Amino acid sequence: MTRSFVSAHTVEDALVAIAAGARPVAGGTDLVVGARQGKAPLPDAIVAIDRVEALAGIRHDGPLLVLGALVTHEALVAEASVREHLTAIADASAIVGSHATRAQGTIGGNVMNASPAMDTGGPLLCFGASATLRSAAGERTLGLEDLWSGPGETIATPTELLTSVQVPLPAPGTGSSYVRLEYRRQMEIAVVGATAVVTVEGDRVSDARIAITALAPTIRRVPEAEAALTGTDGCAEAIAAAAAAAATASAPISDVRGSAAYRTAMAEVITGRAITAALTRARGGSVPIPASPAMHGTH
Amino acid sequence: MATVETAPAGAFVRPDGKEKVTGTGRYTADLTFTGMAHAKFRYADHSHAKILRIDTSKAEAVPGVVAVVTQADLPDVKFGGFVQDRYLFAKDVVRFEGEIVAGVAALSEEIAASAAALIEVEYEVLPAVTDFEAAMGEDAQLVHTEWASYERDENIESSGNTMAYHTIVKGDADAAMTGADVVVKGRYVSDASQGVPIEPRAVIAQWQGDAVTIWSSTQVPYAARAGVAATLEVPEADVRIVVPLLGGGFGAKCDLHFEAQVAALARAAKRPVKLVFSRQEEFVAIAQRREGIAMEFETGVTREGRLVARRARLVLDKGAYCGEGGFLGQMAAMHACGPYVIDNIEIRSYLNYTNNQPSGSVRAPTAPQVCWGLEQHMDEIARAIDMDSIELRRRTLIEEGDEGPTRQIFDRVGVKETLERAVEMIGYGRDLPEDEAIGVAVGWWPCMPAPSGAYVQLNGDGSGTIITGAQENGTGAVMAMPAFVAEELGMQPGDFSMLYQDTAAAPWDMGSCGSQTTFNSGRAVLAAAAEVREALLDAAADQLEADRGDLELADGTVRVKGSPERSVSIAELAGAGTIHGKGSGEVPDAPECDAGGCVGLLGNESFLAPQLITQAAHVKVDRRTGVVRVLRVAAAHDSGRILNRMGADGQVYGGVVMGVGMALSEGTMLDDQGRQRNPHLLDYKLMTCSDAPQIDVEWIEYDAVNAGPRGSKGVGEPPQVPTAGAIANAISKVLGAQVRELPMTPERVWATGREVGA
Repeated sequence: MTRSFVSAHTVEDALVAIAAGARPVAGGTDLVVGARQGKAPLPDAIVAIDRVEALAGIRHDGPLLVLGALVTHEALVAEASVREHLTAIADASAIVGSHATRAQGTIGGNVMNASPAMDTGGPLLCFGASATLRSAAGERTLGLEDLWSGPGETIATPTELLTSVQVPLPAPGTGSSYVRLEYRRQMEIAVVGATAVVTVEGDRVSDARIAITALAPTIRRVPEAEAALTGTDGCAEAIAAAAAAAATASAPISDVRGSAAYRTAMAEVITGRAITAALTRARGGSVPIPASPAMHGTH
Repeated sequence: MATVETAPAGAFVRPDGKEKVTGTGRYTADLTFTGMAHAKFRYADHSHAKILRIDTSKAEAVPGVVAVVTQADLPDVKFGGFVQDRYLFAKDVVRFEGEIVAGVAALSEEIAASAAALIEVEYEVLPAVTDFEAAMGEDAQLVHTEWASYERDENIESSGNTMAYHTIVKGDADAAMTGADVVVKGRYVSDASQGVPIEPRAVIAQWQGDAVTIWSSTQVPYAARAGVAATLEVPEADVRIVVPLLGGGFGAKCDLHFEAQVAALARAAKRPVKLVFSRQEEFVAIAQRREGIAMEFETGVTREGRLVARRARLVLDKGAYCGEGGFLGQMAAMHACGPYVIDNIEIRSYLNYTNNQPSGSVRAPTAPQVCWGLEQHMDEIARAIDMDSIELRRRTLIEEGDEGPTRQIFDRVGVKETLERAVEMIGYGRDLPEDEAIGVAVGWWPCMPAPSGAYVQLNGDGSGTIITGAQENGTGAVMAMPAFVAEELGMQPGDFSMLYQDTAAAPWDMGSCGSQTTFNSGRAVLAAAAEVREALLDAAADQLEADRGDLELADGTVRVKGSPERSVSIAELAGAGTIHGKGSGEVPDAPECDAGGCVGLLGNESFLAPQLITQAAHVKVDRRTGVVRVLRVAAAHDSGRILNRMGADGQVYGGVVMGVGMALSEGTMLDDQGRQRNPHLLDYKLMTCSDAPQIDVEWIEYDAVNAGPRGSKGVGEPPQVPTAGAIANAISKVLGAQVRELPMTPERVWATGREVGA
């Protein structure tokens, strides 16, 4: 049971509380659900950071889009530059949990929770996003692939606070998508997810980044799938080859949400759909946000 | 959009609606009493084990603990509806993961929880029986070794782990099967599922002297009262059950559930004690979930579509204890016949004990699962004789004068009309994309005749109060009673308040179960209103010096027909507020039948005033993932005369959405010890509003005979009965194969499609 609760108004206040052992909370969507399910009790001490203005908002910084730790999924979906240039992030944020989760849950909490099923993880990884961590000792910025060390684990020390996520804006001719297997239309958690970020020059795929979600202990890119697509004209065979490579790279578990065999088969289907949507967008075609229902034919 | 304030005249507005949607309503968990302590249970540590020793001393020593109770502190009384097989707290043996070993009351929930964990229980672990078909094997571990010595209903046939064995037999199915043109066989298996009321259960008990008042989120306050009285050995007169607002039930809040344990804790603590369940407890600890069933059907049919013989073998998972669910096997057997004319029948049904969570009445118990299997079987029969499946149903559904499974003769029934309307509404037979299809299923459900009683009294100002034992489960059925009474008395629904959900106030009532509230409680309220009407007519005849026969009740007055100026207001007649009526009405008799050849007669061998339903579902199947979306459901129902259209439609919307969930995603998964693997809403997936299909409702209305008030039948349970079957038949058309496991999850649909190369 939580014994101490303080509300910080500056990053410095928050860091002092964190250094004293408090756990930072913004939206609280993972913390409360986890406690109710008995996964982890509520921390003894909590510092609320939801009112720290320095952590709020989305801004451009040269080639980077900087997302404050407090930016909600709802705000990400509404942001024009995210929808236009980082569409896969909008696809993902648009289908996180429920309306309430999206209004309350933040990108900072999402990144630091480090769930292998997090929807925004694949898109952030493919876009080459980095995270800035701050503590009383200073600040450091590192790529998300270096931040995430295992399921639910990061290399951040207990006294560090994630302050922002930086996402490089991709080259012209880039299209992206995040597609998730969905048993129902709301309140879903990823059982299988795939991200594709593709850059098209002329009729060639000049760059491809493909990541799989909930198919391995952490969200990971699949170089074999990227290689299968890069340099091709993005034809059906190339998509199929890349999708098959994603399935081969999967190492899913069997649990109440699906067997390993089903998840592996779905890795191929969902990756194929994600690539198809990304290529359509890269070529100037339209796929609604979120891409998932549209690509499943169930919108 | 209509709101409470702007609803059109005549629309049904629930008196409890505004407080519920504005958040001012008080549910049981919202109540607090001075000096109140909090209860936590210590649950079994194994699904099946002998208890060798319970030591509560460490828990009792925790500061803030005010009571610890085990069965050793209570009368040696077992309970159960048809078989008395369970103690309030496990005494010698624990038989499922949610079994309660001890209860703790403490000054805070946290203290109670930590003390409960300190109770030491020493066990001898026994093999857990989780496979409900294997449970009836000769060498199977017995769940209840003392089963033969239990008190039981005289009509329950038990043997070992088979708690109840039933047959429905008509004619000679074996002989007729040999003479059939085609014999079709099919096996279907349904997982267990849950009612999942959004309000987790809460109970508060407070003693004053020798009497206890218990606030409980129950659907059946009188059953709870009887259970508390029996298990604690106190008179029913000293037990009062009050139900604050109830946040849904769906059957999961039927039966005696924790009221007695909390009362025992409160008595020991000498304080009010409150229990509020977590979502996980709501899944695991209640003895009330929808039963798993394995079904094998075999039907002999002629080329012309005559059903000459039906054999079926049904095996049901009773779980660890009987509870109120002793009748499930016989009910399932009737649903294996369905509303069809079948010449010869032999259904065998086995309700088996296991170390799984106990099963009980969840919305139309057994019917949706068996209908799901049977209606797929009917489509398979149609294919086997190369006949359209709608045409096969046209030729075989019952109509007036036909004979039921035990030779009851049906009065007028509208099932064929429901079929035609549903098929017409959905546009059956039109061209659809290759990944879409329409499936149809037909089901039935009996009305439950039960006594009830009510009072109606007029107050001095002409307003009135209705006192009923009926329980409001969220369906609005009780809420509609002022409208019935107002109509009888020529008054307005808003003229009446209601006193209900309090066992100290009103006569006995069965509760919110069995689709019975309008059917039985409504009959009682109308009978009470009729007495008031008679009193008003007598008084008005005197005052107006008119013949009683010339009087009518209208516009809040009693007046002479044709001379409205000769009138007297009901307020004036009510005078000192002494006009009151009481009533029960006549309970309809079960239809005559010939069940002499059947085993295990518990009263469901004939169906009183059967409610009949056809639903047609239009679905889209993503073949590559197995994900199914239900786009539209057309529901045509025969519930006789509809007394409250808005409420009845609401039951269909809710039932269909619950049916879609059962069809596609809702299933309780167990590990090899019978423990639930998905006892939470993240992985027990209910349908959301976004998943709800378009639902079109039509009622085939007529005045049903030997039925409820004004020719009505029940409404609440049937809407869920055929939904999963209709969806299944649509899926199978897309895949070209039947999905033989329920729920038809994406993985199961995908696997079925892969087997046939769809």
